[in-house]
Amino acid sequence: MATLADSFLADLEELSDNEADSLNEDNGDAEQMEEDVDGDLADIEALNYDDLDSVSKLQKTQRYNDIMQKVEDALEKGSDISNQSIVLEDDPEYQLIVDCNALSVDIENEIVIIHNFIRDKYRLKFPELESLVHHPIDYARVVKKIGNEMDLTLVDLEGLLPSAIIMVISVTASTTSGKPLPDEVLQKTIDACDRALTLDSAKKKVLDFVESRMGYIAPNVSAIVGTAVAAKLMGTAGGLSALARMPACNVQLLGAKRKTLAGFSTANSQIHVGYLEQTEIFQSTPPTLRKRACRLLAAKSTLAARIDSIKGDSTGKVGRSLRDEILKKIEKWQEPPPAKQPKPLPVPDSEPKKKRGGRRLRKTKERYALTDMRKLANRMAFGVPEESSLGDGLGEGYGMLGQAGSGKLRVSAGPSKLSAKVAKKFKEKQYGSSGATSGLTSSLAFTPVQGIELSNPQALANQLGSGTQSTYFSETGTFSKIKRT
Amino acid sequence: MDEVLASVAETIKNFAVMYLVDITEVPDFNTMYELYDPSTIMFFFRNKHIMIDLGTGNNNKINWAMKDKQEFIDIVETVYRGARKGRGLVIAPKDYSTKYRY
Repeated sequence: MATLADSFLADLEELSDNEADSLNEDNGDAEQMEEDVDGDLADIEALNYDDLDSVSKLQKTQRYNDIMQKVEDALEKGSDISNQSIVLEDDPEYQLIVDCNALSVDIENEIVIIHNFIRDKYRLKFPELESLVHHPIDYARVVKKIGNEMDLTLVDLEGLLPSAIIMVISVTASTTSGKPLPDEVLQKTIDACDRALTLDSAKKKVLDFVESRMGYIAPNVSAIVGTAVAAKLMGTAGGLSALARMPACNVQLLGAKRKTLAGFSTANSQIHVGYLEQTEIFQSTPPTLRKRACRLLAAKSTLAARIDSIKGDSTGKVGRSLRDEILKKIEKWQEPPPAKQPKPLPVPDSEPKKKRGGRRLRKTKERYALTDMRKLANRMAFGVPEESSLGDGLGEGYGMLGQAGSGKLRVSAGPSKLSAKVAKKFKEKQYGSSGATSGLTSSLAFTPVQGIELSNPQALANQLGSGTQSTYFSETGTFSKIKRT
Repeated sequence: MDEVLASVAETIKNFAVMYLVDITEVPDFNTMYELYDPSTIMFFFRNKHIMIDLGTGNNNKINWAMKDKQEFIDIVETVYRGARKGRGLVIAPKDYSTKYRY
């Protein structure tokens, strides 16, 4: 037994050794991956991260700093339009713009990583905040403002968030299960917030720069949606060629990530609209047509992006014509329908009646078909006076029905389909009246024991008849046990 | 009656055409058809005069002003159906014998 336990322990130690080995291998792989991708991606396997720098490396990279420097220079210089003679690919500014696009995507990813970091650290203090404030930059700002404060009435969040959300936050903070953070953790969190905010401002600078050059990079797209939105679209897509490769439905959704909080109304949240919501065309369409307009805008701007990516039209003429097309289409949608013309009547009897056929019609006609009994009643024998219901020629005549020598041995009424339907309805009503068969009888029964009773206790016995007679062959007999389900 | 006829003309143009005749300008048929009233409507189908049993006693014409458009359209349609079948006398869908009694 001891040896068994020992062998188990030995197994456990082996396992832990294996883990350590595999961890080391992963380290090596991850580092290789990092080197390939310019060290921008975060070290995913470093789950035990206390250090911000091990998580977000972007700001330290050379590439980032180079591009930011160039962008700032270019922004100060202002736009120069004189470079149209040079082939676009060789233009250094064009290269810078391409780099800017990639960088803005990277910055966005970085912000998400830092947001996760802040969130994990701040969870000890205020766990509910992450579900109340979704946007990473807003979250960073709020965390920075609140700090280690437990009483939220002393914190002023005006201007950072809409007042409804501030209210919810203050209410949640009063009942939160969080505890104040230790100082180093707090310091690290604040550092991370600062870094997120600087990254955000850097991204804004990059986008401003791209926007200022937008009319020159992608004139057609800017003609349709405007330079600001075009820059945002390009930035989020990761370049003009990436934007051109996207299908239009994806372009429509670029920048759409508004999640309403639980409990807030979804009446004002527009589904499936992204950056295109900010375009002038979209804002000027009536709300009922906005969905269609968004789809149209996305489609045409994708076409324009494709033209721009191959530099098919550098003047923006196609973009302007597409824009006119869009506006004309929206106008057309808003036209009232054509007025109703008074139609003259068709010629009477000229259109043959639409006769239908089939099994269903045949079955319904069968219900009203002429039965054998009726046929016989309609005919008369020659020289023989017919019997009638009231006798002596008064009342309904019976014709050949019941006459001796009429040739028909027996005429049975047969199951009349019309009366079957009527009988079914009647039976349903009958069951409700506790067995009274005629309209003149009352459902009250006068019994010796109880006096007046609503349901006749003799009814069931009467249905069976006297015990001596056999009810099997009876024509008037019904089921012996009538159970209402 | 004129407004009714004018408004109905477009609706029934597929099977009926209206001709307005001024009996002071064209007095040739006044004795033949006994045209003495202020307004008279008579029906002809392929050069044959069609009579309508309106209940008034006079089956040849409508010699009062009708106010209801749909009634008039019904009468014209009945005349057309009967005339196409070859009948010389059709029965109007509404009885006008009590026209003056309310």
